[in-house]
Amino acid sequence: MKRNYTGCAICDSTWGNVWADVEGERMFFCCEVCVTQFRRLVDRVKQETGWSTIDSLDIAGDRRGRSCTASSGSQSFRFFIAFTPQGEVRAFEKLAA
Amino acid sequence: MTSCPACLRPLGQGDLPALASHLVEEAEGSDPAHVRWLNQNLTRNKVPASELVPGLERVYDLRGGTLKEWIKARFISKFFGPVPHPFVTALQHPSRATLLGYVVEHQHFLRQWVRSCAFIMARTDQPKVVLYELDNLNTEYGGYGPERMAHYELLLRMGESLGVDRSRVLTTPALPSTREGIEGWNEIATRQHWVAALAAMHSLELIANRDLVQEGATVHYFDPSILGGGEITEASKNFLREGYEADVAHSDEALDLVNEFGSRPDVSEEVQSTFLRSIDLFDDYLLARLQRAADFEA
Repeated sequence: MKRNYTGCAICDSTWGNVWADVEGERMFFCCEVCVTQFRRLVDRVKQETGWSTIDSLDIAGDRRGRSCTASSGSQSFRFFIAFTPQGEVRAFEKLAA
Repeated sequence: MTSCPACLRPLGQGDLPALASHLVEEAEGSDPAHVRWLNQNLTRNKVPASELVPGLERVYDLRGGTLKEWIKARFISKFFGPVPHPFVTALQHPSRATLLGYVVEHQHFLRQWVRSCAFIMARTDQPKVVLYELDNLNTEYGGYGPERMAHYELLLRMGESLGVDRSRVLTTPALPSTREGIEGWNEIATRQHWVAALAAMHSLELIANRDLVQEGATVHYFDPSILGGGEITEASKNFLREGYEADVAHSDEALDLVNEFGSRPDVSEEVQSTFLRSIDLFDDYLLARLQRAADFEA
């Protein structure tokens, strides 16, 4: 999955040292909470779009909420997502393309 | 003494290099609380401990002001900045669900509040602090008879006015963030210096302090216009109005006591770290109110 972050897959931090397999790819995360967040994000995008894979993910924002663009093949999907402190989805909203 | 703002581990007085090393060490182990603190307060980029020290000095620097001023500035920045806390945004013109989320989680918070304030009373050697806490506890929990009901009772009545019986409120277990907050505040009240506990608890009453807008807050806790008109129930107005009127004095008076009894350098540092820990717990707890609100959305 192509991503705009080089650090932690969800928050771009380079602290921490967690590696987890997501979507068949070994990814770096700063902590386990971010692993949960990323997995929930991927699950939600798949649920909303019906896609089987996500080719790229662009994330902007912070802990208060993140605006994201996911793409699969020629399709793209924009959304806002925010999490609980435990990493579960607290708010999700589709955004205009 | 300095303690870690993420876990309250005690460190040497004024020893910010030790704090930096501790934060880096815990972040190496990917501890979420320490990584979060670094990300939100210093930098998201991993650097050696020595490079964190100037940032820590900036965080802890009172800039020639008082603890009260430092606490207020950091509180405003965290909850009332250009992007206010999501619960504050939701409370500007609250839905029924938002208010019910508030009711269900806040009754747990207030029950811990009593315990925390009682510990401060038990551990202080200052009569004026005991008197302050007695008044606070009566306002928040005991009440002064039917003419001036406790905040706790007003909260339950707000829930009832929105169609949720108090028995349901009282038997609903707290969400994880509320539970973690309660555990954290209990630890603060029982283990930290009583001045640090005083600051950690009563700084939280700044959330409803309507004067913060004059000091840089971008919004009030809620839009004061909702106290007029028919946007929310009368019981909801009574609950919100009580905090709106009481918490200016509650928070300001407590922070004056913090200034008065917390000026010794070792106590002052502990006040700062404990306050920083408390507002992180509070940030998460406010999100729990929103999470609970989802249970009541149509």
